[in-house]
Amino acid sequence: MLEFRAVSARYGKLAALIEVSLSVPDGARVAIFGHNGAGKTTLLKCGVGAMPGIDGEVSCNGTRIVPGAVYRNTRLGIGFVPQGHNVFKNLGVERNLGIAGLLHDKRFVERVYELFPMLAERRAQLAGSLSGGQQQMLALGMALMTQPRILLLDEPATGLAPVIVENVLASLLRINETMKTAIVIVEQNVKATLPVVERALILKAGRLVWDGSSAELARKEDLWTWF
Amino acid sequence: MEYVYSVLVMIGIYTIMASSFNLIIGFGGLISIAHPIFFALSAYASALVNLHWGVPIPLAILLGTLFAAAMSVMLSLPSLRISGDYLLIASMGFQLGFVEVIKNVDFAGGAGGLTGIASIYSGPSRSPAFVVTTLTIAATVVSVVHWLTHGEYGRAIRAMRDDEECFASLGRNPMAIKITIFAVGSALAGLAGALYAHYFQFLSPEQFGITQSALILTMVVVGGMGSTWGPVVGALLLTALPQAITFLNLPPSVMAPLQGMLYTGLVLLFLFVRPAGLVAKRLGQ
Repeated sequence: MLEFRAVSARYGKLAALIEVSLSVPDGARVAIFGHNGAGKTTLLKCGVGAMPGIDGEVSCNGTRIVPGAVYRNTRLGIGFVPQGHNVFKNLGVERNLGIAGLLHDKRFVERVYELFPMLAERRAQLAGSLSGGQQQMLALGMALMTQPRILLLDEPATGLAPVIVENVLASLLRINETMKTAIVIVEQNVKATLPVVERALILKAGRLVWDGSSAELARKEDLWTWF
Repeated sequence: MEYVYSVLVMIGIYTIMASSFNLIIGFGGLISIAHPIFFALSAYASALVNLHWGVPIPLAILLGTLFAAAMSVMLSLPSLRISGDYLLIASMGFQLGFVEVIKNVDFAGGAGGLTGIASIYSGPSRSPAFVVTTLTIAATVVSVVHWLTHGEYGRAIRAMRDDEECFASLGRNPMAIKITIFAVGSALAGLAGALYAHYFQFLSPEQFGITQSALILTMVVVGGMGSTWGPVVGALLLTALPQAITFLNLPPSVMAPLQGMLYTGLVLLFLFVRPAGLVAKRLGQ
């Protein structure tokens, strides 16, 4: 359970988040939507403590998330997949997974290979030579190596072909179902993401303006007025 | 013969310096120019605890080495907390500041230098014994740096350099790795310094200026940053080269600027023509 209590964050003078409160229960699937600059990425960063100097409080199962100490917060069971640069390009696939799992059970790598057979076939290949979709799968696999109870993903489908987007989203669903890992996903692609999640949040100019079931949001005809 | 021995000892000492600086700058990506000051701090510490408190030399060398590591944390902890760029600026202040401090501390010999430092070995076979000791330690240091940067820990260092944010989000602490690398590298510089002190038996604060930083950087860049053998080749070449020039019998007023130009010229030349250095680093796993 990840809880945000009246969290505000700013970049210099610019307020990026304004008093956002929400909680993500274990095993949930939540999407965060909003236009550019609405505060989606900032909200995720607050979740792992990657935003220094925030107001309000974030906690994971009762333990406070200390801003500024990402590596320590990750060990509480929060997996974070940053946008874009999220694999070590100069290392091979297996080495990447190894680094991710160094503090954890190394045998878990077999579970990751079961989930992503594509990675098993490319163990020795340099991560930088994988396609965008494959890199995204590897990034997911690396986050899983830390055996998180909640997975925060920042635009995992950006820049990928539609077929690959479906692939990535389907594997998220599989992770959620087989490992009971809660998923919080920030995405621009609302149409592709909505069927995968059960709850949707909409941020607008740093405020939480909608929090409800994804089915309800999908039915809303004035959906686009929110953006 | 004595001359050849002293050049061999210097090659050993510079191999330790270049190899450990390569660990910091080449592998760790930490830009600092303060490497010679850790050499100096340890050299003085080792000489002084032996001189004033009668600590046996091997123990004094160990204490000097540990002192260099501890002092490195004093520099790296506050500056790395802000950002990597601050390390360079802070290291300049650290280097220049401590040279001034040493100049003004009377029990360390002050500006005139520290004399009367005890030697590890004595007797007729003193110099050959020193050559063997220094070269053995240099070989060990090169192996330790290789081992540190090529195993599982080495991959973690590379991953941390590639992408710090990603590294932290996997539950790994980038700061811990940086401070460790900096401390190990500085300790090794300290080891070289302590050996130097007990071989040449004389220390002068003027030796540890920015020129030394430039020389060691030149060794690493010319030899090959981020490769195990690069700094060894660089140290060999740049210790031998200035010695070769001395045979030209140029007046000192020409010699000193000539050496300075040689170092800067070589760095520029290599950065343009062969940025990977003489020994290009091996890519791959």
